Amino acid sequence: MELFLQRLVDGLSEGSVYALIALGIVIIYRGTGHLNFAQGEMALFSTFVVYQFGEWGIPIGIAVIMGMAVGFTLGAVTEVAIVRPISKKSPFAVFIVTIGLFQLLNWVDGAIWGGQQLPNTGVGSKQVRFPSLFPNNPTDFVTIFGANIKIQSLGVIALVGVLTVALFAIFNHTRLGLAMRAVAANGESAKLVGIRTGRVLMASWGLAAAIGALGGVVFAGISTNVNLGLMFTVFIYASAAATLGGFDSPGGAVVGGLSIGLIQNMAAGYAPKWVGQEMKVGVAFLVILGVLLFRPSGLFGTSRVERV
Amino acid sequence: MKPLFTIKAGGPTSWAVRVVCAAALVYVLLWIPTSGSNSLIDTATTALTLMGAALSLNLLLGFTGQISLGHSAFFGIGAYTTAVCVTRWGWSPLKTLPIAFAVAFVVGALVSLPALRIKGVYLALVTLTLGVVFPQFIKWPKIEWLTGGSRGLTDTGFKFDKNNRTFELFGWNPWGNLRGENVKPFYFWIAVVIVLIIYLICRGLVKSRVGRSLVAIRDNSTAAAVMGVNLALTKGLVFGLSAAMCALPGSLTAMKGTVTPDTALLTVIGSITFLIVMVVGGAGTLWGPIIGAIVYQFITEKTGDWVEPDKIPSLLRPFFSWSKTPPAAGIFGLSLVVLMFVAPLGLAGFWKQVVGRVVAVVPKPAGSTTLEPTAPSDGIPTWQPEEPLAEQ
Repeated sequence: MELFLQRLVDGLSEGSVYALIALGIVIIYRGTGHLNFAQGEMALFSTFVVYQFGEWGIPIGIAVIMGMAVGFTLGAVTEVAIVRPISKKSPFAVFIVTIGLFQLLNWVDGAIWGGQQLPNTGVGSKQVRFPSLFPNNPTDFVTIFGANIKIQSLGVIALVGVLTVALFAIFNHTRLGLAMRAVAANGESAKLVGIRTGRVLMASWGLAAAIGALGGVVFAGISTNVNLGLMFTVFIYASAAATLGGFDSPGGAVVGGLSIGLIQNMAAGYAPKWVGQEMKVGVAFLVILGVLLFRPSGLFGTSRVERV
Repeated sequence: MKPLFTIKAGGPTSWAVRVVCAAALVYVLLWIPTSGSNSLIDTATTALTLMGAALSLNLLLGFTGQISLGHSAFFGIGAYTTAVCVTRWGWSPLKTLPIAFAVAFVVGALVSLPALRIKGVYLALVTLTLGVVFPQFIKWPKIEWLTGGSRGLTDTGFKFDKNNRTFELFGWNPWGNLRGENVKPFYFWIAVVIVLIIYLICRGLVKSRVGRSLVAIRDNSTAAAVMGVNLALTKGLVFGLSAAMCALPGSLTAMKGTVTPDTALLTVIGSITFLIVMVVGGAGTLWGPIIGAIVYQFITEKTGDWVEPDKIPSLLRPFFSWSKTPPAAGIFGLSLVVLMFVAPLGLAGFWKQVVGRVVAVVPKPAGSTTLEPTAPSDGIPTWQPEEPLAEQ
């Protein structure tokens, strides 16, 4: 029971991060139909920016909000300057461009902060470890049914819950959200009724990158090893989450993210010999493959009809 | 603008150009292992390795339009097939090449089964995951007895000793000394042969009926099916073949001695490297990956020590001196973005454009044996709408 509860909470807190990155993927996909392979690296860049703010002595709460603003700018500029002009050429060009951004952003992180693990006291970090949004000392846990649950994990889950509610409020009750839904449903018609689709898409990319920034900071806080490869697997899990939930369903992304977090943690925990730490990512592979083969629209997505 | 010169395809001028190019190529290939320094031979071998992988990716992605970010896994399958056969069963490394080819072909064909249903970026996603899973799979405790887990395998290559023959020709041996004193040229020649095989397979396919059907699948798969192309079979075979060819340079890396699952080219970084090499050189062109690999390796080597500001040429110093890591990765990331704007067919396509301004090649009249220009595909161009087929 204790182990189960612990795995449940760990799975949910990791799943929350996947849900955040998956939300970013889904928001971009809904707006433009592109799969942004650089989503994880955009998040990583903002995460390192937050780390830098921490180095300058800015408290973590404010640093995260500033980091999200940086992320928003990065996403919006990327959309306007790069993705929008290139998407007129071909989907393949967009794919190559997102891979190029992936590579470029990863290099920029390394070029500015060094290829080493962060925080690195060797290169003069003031911070002993990556700034965490929640109390993260060995003593910071609560005991529920005999299981020691980290306050950090609970905090992450709560934070993601609040953010999801806020996002759905934006989607369903604001003009921006309405415009985003209109563009997602039919871009041409949205333009005809006077929605500035360009701005909406810019905002979508910005929003996606800002959410990703939060996801990155939270994940950096719960993982012990913050380096340039941090987001590779997170992106895989998040894509698995988006696939499972359906690429055009934000709700699906959240459900998918939490499920992926739970599935991989439970599988690794209960089948240490078969899955273990090594093959956790194999679970994500099977999920992506299975969903795409048998139900390409995911659990909550709308299936697309293709016209020849 | 009218080109300055016109050349008839198959005419004497065209043949003269070909002969000169071929002679230059042979000269370079002989010069590197005989007169080049050890590090140059190493660099050339790495470039050839990338060339082979990018050529095989190009057949799948550039010509057939099937996106794969999982070629590092096929590369790794080649490496591990060789490593396992050599260390566990004591095979001679060269004999493992066909085995690696066959194993990767089967795996590739299996992967292509879902690829028949999954298209475009979704396929990219599935194959990307495959690329991420592969090194983890190698580390999996259940198969550690075979693969050596995360420590990898050692002594996976040739055993050089004093009894080896040296194959000297009148005191001249461009293949190095196989008695273990100078073995680098030997690897170089294996790489050359592998790349040659892969290039010839690609060329043979692309310039034949099969090649047309591949391009047709890329540009409009529905139209291709209507024209009588067997989509499932063609896609499956090309996927398998591409994977199998990619395994050969993988084998070569194992032949050099050690294999670990964290070798960069065996992880998803490898997939991205192959993609970069292919796109920078020119996707969908036969010579693209070859040019791309040379450029990629050249820039990576040249900028390798740019972490120290005084190693950077003074003109470029202000742009790169702030970087804490070598700038090659950033240069290529940026060039992918820029190339998609200015030259979607990469350096090879750009070169063709430039040359096309100066020299016009008049194709033979239809009905002759050489390739006539392919008609542009109708319908919705899903891929590179500007130019239907780059290679002629």
